[in-house]
Amino acid sequence: MKKYTHNEITILQYIFLIVGTQMGVGFLSLPRVVAEKGGTDGWMGIIIGWILSVASSIIMVKTAKKFPNDTLYDLLIRFFGKILGKVAIFIILGYTLSFSLIIFINTFLYIKAWFLPNTPDYLIVMLFSIPVLFIVRNGLRVIGRYNELIFYMTMWLPVVLLFPLKDGSFLNLLPLFKVGWKSISATLPPVIYSFLGFELVFFFYPFLKKKQYAIHGIIIANTLSMFFYLFVTISCFVFFSPDSITDFNQPVLSMLKVIEFPFIERLDVVILNILILFSSRSWILYMYCTVFSFSQLMNKQDHSLYVPVLLGLLVIGTFFVQPTWMQVTTWQKWASNAGIAVAYVFPVFLWIYSWGYEKFSRRRFS
Amino acid sequence: MSRKIGVCLLILVMILSGCMDATPIEEVSVSLILGLDLDEEDNLLVYMSSPIFSKEAKDKEEVYEVKSYTLRHSREKFDARVIGLTSGSKTQLFLVGKRLLKKKDWFDYLDPFFRDPKNTVTARVVAVDGSVAEVIFNKPADKPRLSLYLTSLIDAAAKRNIVKETTLQDFHSQMEDKGRTAWITQIKKKKRIELTGSALLAQSGQYKITITPEENQLLNILEGKKKGDYSITIPVSMESASKGKPYISFSISDLKVKKKVKFNGRFVFDINVDLQISISEQLFPFDVQKDYAKLEKSITNELENETNQLIQKIQKSQIDPLGLGLYARAYTYQEWKKVEENWGNTLAKSKINIHVKTKIKGIGTSNHQ
Repeated sequence: MKKYTHNEITILQYIFLIVGTQMGVGFLSLPRVVAEKGGTDGWMGIIIGWILSVASSIIMVKTAKKFPNDTLYDLLIRFFGKILGKVAIFIILGYTLSFSLIIFINTFLYIKAWFLPNTPDYLIVMLFSIPVLFIVRNGLRVIGRYNELIFYMTMWLPVVLLFPLKDGSFLNLLPLFKVGWKSISATLPPVIYSFLGFELVFFFYPFLKKKQYAIHGIIIANTLSMFFYLFVTISCFVFFSPDSITDFNQPVLSMLKVIEFPFIERLDVVILNILILFSSRSWILYMYCTVFSFSQLMNKQDHSLYVPVLLGLLVIGTFFVQPTWMQVTTWQKWASNAGIAVAYVFPVFLWIYSWGYEKFSRRRFS
Repeated sequence: MSRKIGVCLLILVMILSGCMDATPIEEVSVSLILGLDLDEEDNLLVYMSSPIFSKEAKDKEEVYEVKSYTLRHSREKFDARVIGLTSGSKTQLFLVGKRLLKKKDWFDYLDPFFRDPKNTVTARVVAVDGSVAEVIFNKPADKPRLSLYLTSLIDAAAKRNIVKETTLQDFHSQMEDKGRTAWITQIKKKKRIELTGSALLAQSGQYKITITPEENQLLNILEGKKKGDYSITIPVSMESASKGKPYISFSISDLKVKKKVKFNGRFVFDINVDLQISISEQLFPFDVQKDYAKLEKSITNELENETNQLIQKIQKSQIDPLGLGLYARAYTYQEWKKVEENWGNTLAKSKINIHVKTKIKGIGTSNHQ
């Protein structure tokens, strides 16, 4: 029985959904973060992170393949029974919710720092809630289309990063392997954080129309993200001297500040506007997964009711708590640890469990 | 119907929201030139020049000097004097007085340029040989506003490679990178404002030496900068040259520079310069078409001579404007790691070999024999 035929997504949408969740605003500071740990060899950490995330993604799709029409909720209930399954889905719900909030607050702090320093927090959040409400309350197909559209709209972004490179020097990257593997592997936690997002494949998989391409799709998505991160990081390493890159909080924006065209002097501000669209994909998807899990937990088919409630809580929340940069950085560290658990440890565990479950249940039936 | 009204309302809301908090340009004081200097008692002086957009004002520019502790601190003082709110987002030039340049670590003052996202980082950093006040209070009658005049003066000169144009962002890299030192434009107010070449600074930001426009061209060639035009005039020592005035001028049509580094007890740099030139002036009788090899050799010798003198001057001051340290780091990392904190001193003890290869590509439309 197919539960989700009315909301099927194409393979392209599936790829862009995963890419969209992976790319938030994290890439703006990624070059600095990896440079702090691994110097100019930090970019190698991105390739290692990519291998890890592809490996974990394949395991996830393999697990999901066994029960192609199960959402994560159905899967967990099937595996662990009603009570344990619900507890597990509750934890996942908390995870997606906190990710959605952290990415959202992070974007919102950028907006506040760069162009709306005097506007009260809750007003900005309210402004954002309206379009988000219209997108999230629809099904995955609409969100998939939104992601696809934004992907095409922002494809030119990497091209802009080529302009400042004429002032850079590729000598900055040499010699390779100057810090040793220990420092390179120290870059992994932030890199893993920027690859997070593929774990939502459990949510997307049941909606995918052509399930035979699921593994190809997720590998393509991870690779697209990897190329983007690698491109951004290496551009920054070439442009900034290795001794000064750690002085800039968001090297990517500082690099964009240098670009001047005769008709526009501050391209960074324009690009930051586009980044709102860019990172909105990420928090919209986490938010969708949150309300989707919640509606399943409540045994309701329609999740759209919970979206205004969640957004309303968010507006009220920011009215009382005004988050700061330092707080968000700490939250990010926690989220990063939780992400390693959910995106790397949990799938492996689930895969092994599903394997045992299959054997056990087959024996029972035969 | 109601949908149409809704769309109209939405458009109105979107457009009109911009009118709430508009800032007319007449009410902003855009600091196009900022200056930093020290007075006789070593107090920090901050200068600002901003354009006036008013039909009634006779002068089209307001210039102020205030005493302050830091750059940001000076803003309140400017706000108490200028016509509108001071804004640093359009700064074109950043002038630094000689007195301040001779101090160490004055770079720390520039922090707000990199911290506040509203400020620009593309302002040109310019050393003033003398005090900033001499330059910034100057109002040449036959020139446009000082900020426009100085900007186009520097841009044009940098195109001819006679000064080095360094933006604040470049300057930040030059200062922070351990493998190179800063290299910035220098101006001086004589009778009029004049570009006097480039100032070379030490790792601490302290002023070391000035190089002339001619030396700046040579240093640009050694750096391998292809952009812009070179017009180089040098004396040649040849038999036939003594019959006339011994000068030859040429432009560079193609330039290839390869730098190599090796370490045998000390750093040894090899800079190979491959030049293709076209002669633009020759004041002595000489048949270039027949004896071009002789002339090429003579030019090569003279260029090697002059660049060697320049390099010696640089090594003596323990600075590295060429960024040879970057090559040392990239190719001899183990040795570099030991000396990176003291690179200027190490470079002074290194050997730098310059090999020039000249090829005459064009001789113009006459052949003076």
